[in-house]
Amino acid sequence: MTGNELKEKSNEIKKLVITMTAKGKGGHVGTSLSEADILAALFFHTMNFDYQDPDRDRFVLSKGHGSESLYCTLALKGTFPVSELNNYLTHDSFLTIHPTRHVPGVEINTGALGHGFSIAVGMALGARKSLKNWRTFVLTGDGELEEGSNWEAAMAASFYKLGNLTVIVDNNRLQLADFISKIMEIEPLDKKFEAFGFDVYKVAGNDPQAISDCLDSLDYSGTKPHCILAQTTKGSGVSFMENIAEWHHRVPTIDEAEKAIKELSK
Amino acid sequence: MSGCLRETQVETYMHLIEQGSNIIYLVSDSVSTSKIKPFMEKYPDRVVNSGIAEQNLMGMAAGLANAGFIPVTGNATPFLISRSNEQLKVDISYSNSNVKVNGMHAGFSYGTDGCTHHEVNDISVLRGFPNFEIYSPCDPAECTKITEYSVLHRTGPVYISLNSGNFQIITPENHLFTPGKPVQFAEGKDITIIALGTAVHDVLDAARQWATLYTADIFSLSSIRPLQTDALTDSIKKTGRVLTVEQHSTHGGAGSIVAELIADKGLDAKLKRLGVPEGQYTRNWSAPDNKIFFGLDAAGIRKVVDLMCST
Repeated sequence: MTGNELKEKSNEIKKLVITMTAKGKGGHVGTSLSEADILAALFFHTMNFDYQDPDRDRFVLSKGHGSESLYCTLALKGTFPVSELNNYLTHDSFLTIHPTRHVPGVEINTGALGHGFSIAVGMALGARKSLKNWRTFVLTGDGELEEGSNWEAAMAASFYKLGNLTVIVDNNRLQLADFISKIMEIEPLDKKFEAFGFDVYKVAGNDPQAISDCLDSLDYSGTKPHCILAQTTKGSGVSFMENIAEWHHRVPTIDEAEKAIKELSK
Repeated sequence: MSGCLRETQVETYMHLIEQGSNIIYLVSDSVSTSKIKPFMEKYPDRVVNSGIAEQNLMGMAAGLANAGFIPVTGNATPFLISRSNEQLKVDISYSNSNVKVNGMHAGFSYGTDGCTHHEVNDISVLRGFPNFEIYSPCDPAECTKITEYSVLHRTGPVYISLNSGNFQIITPENHLFTPGKPVQFAEGKDITIIALGTAVHDVLDAARQWATLYTADIFSLSSIRPLQTDALTDSIKKTGRVLTVEQHSTHGGAGSIVAELIADKGLDAKLKRLGVPEGQYTRNWSAPDNKIFFGLDAAGIRKVVDLMCST
């Protein structure tokens, strides 16, 4: 896909996110909009993704509260019908606020923070031990990196020389309550990941072309795990949601949803 | 014949690999706790040492299961249960990952290392996590059978609680392990005694002391989940007296399971629970001294049986 096509895809994901959260009356809009461009690059450009193929590339959404973007991405990839998004948060639907393996294409249940990175290390280690070439990608929040377990995982990734592992940080600088710098500063993430033995890149995180170019440039057969610090904006693409902590899990009203979709359709 | 449950289990895993099982063993630094040195020598590529990082160990195990391995973990149960608690819940139990979790040095096996190293709540905690099957083998032979079953016949999470020490093989040679079925060691009419895993050895010692004074149905509760309750229910109906014995908190372990059974079935029975009473820490003493303190040695068990059978 070209850069423009990827951007169209991420806009489609974002519009579906707005519709499903407004209809379902729940979810995490801001964080889903923040990561949509990353998911578009991964699923529509980078990853070998046939979810029933044992040798597929693996994706772990460690920031499980960003499930809506993942659901919309998977639906557009065809793992389940797009119409199922209308059932988000209904009792009979597998589309719950935090993702589970009941959703076709989801590898592991997440939602509690600080888990996915270790799981991804295990996957990447498994691929190396099985002499398989499939790759593992894990998306974490930046606030999520306050959980200490992530740094246990980072140590292990570099100790086991997992060049087939890429951690992408949705680096939007906001956590639930406020800016990270006001709660518990986590920067400088580049220096921290470098010190843990990672190959670190800072990339424009709401530009799918920039993300996919960076992912294309990595050596997945090497001995250094990769870290992409995706410089994102929480609520990306909707002016009245951008950089406002409240939109971490505020649900848009019908009017707000219409306004947001109009902005995303420009 | 006697043996150590942990050593027996490691031999079993090595045998299973020889037969083609895709096992990978995760350990957190303490290879002496896990007794895996022979395994490491023979299968160095199948060992993942997480270092002193139990959360990462359990997350990696879930990832390795996703990659097609059968991960088995072996580390000290106090740190397993407390430090990697949420990983056990989310990455293994909730995600239904095919990981075999072994709790080493359960109970007060660590002796004078004290309360930080004792774990008398592992069964209680794991009972709170669906999808896990939960076992507490009573002897090395049963440990082998449970371990083989967990790898060959069970796709999904299994927890095996392993008490430390040298244990005689007490299950008959032709004993057929059936998930859920308590193992019966004696038949009687005066009292039903239900022991958690290896605690049955002390019960059998006590029974030798009271000789012909009483007769007892003696069971090892080796399967905690699943649990077939028919034999226990029939025995309790027959004797009307039940004693549970466990190197575990009476809250959430064998004592609770039997109390729940009595309540659920509306059985008319007197119940006494021997273990670490609810709300108490263990003592920072040796394992034998803890056993004596909590009345879990043969003399303590005998004393309670005397009292129960005299009324």
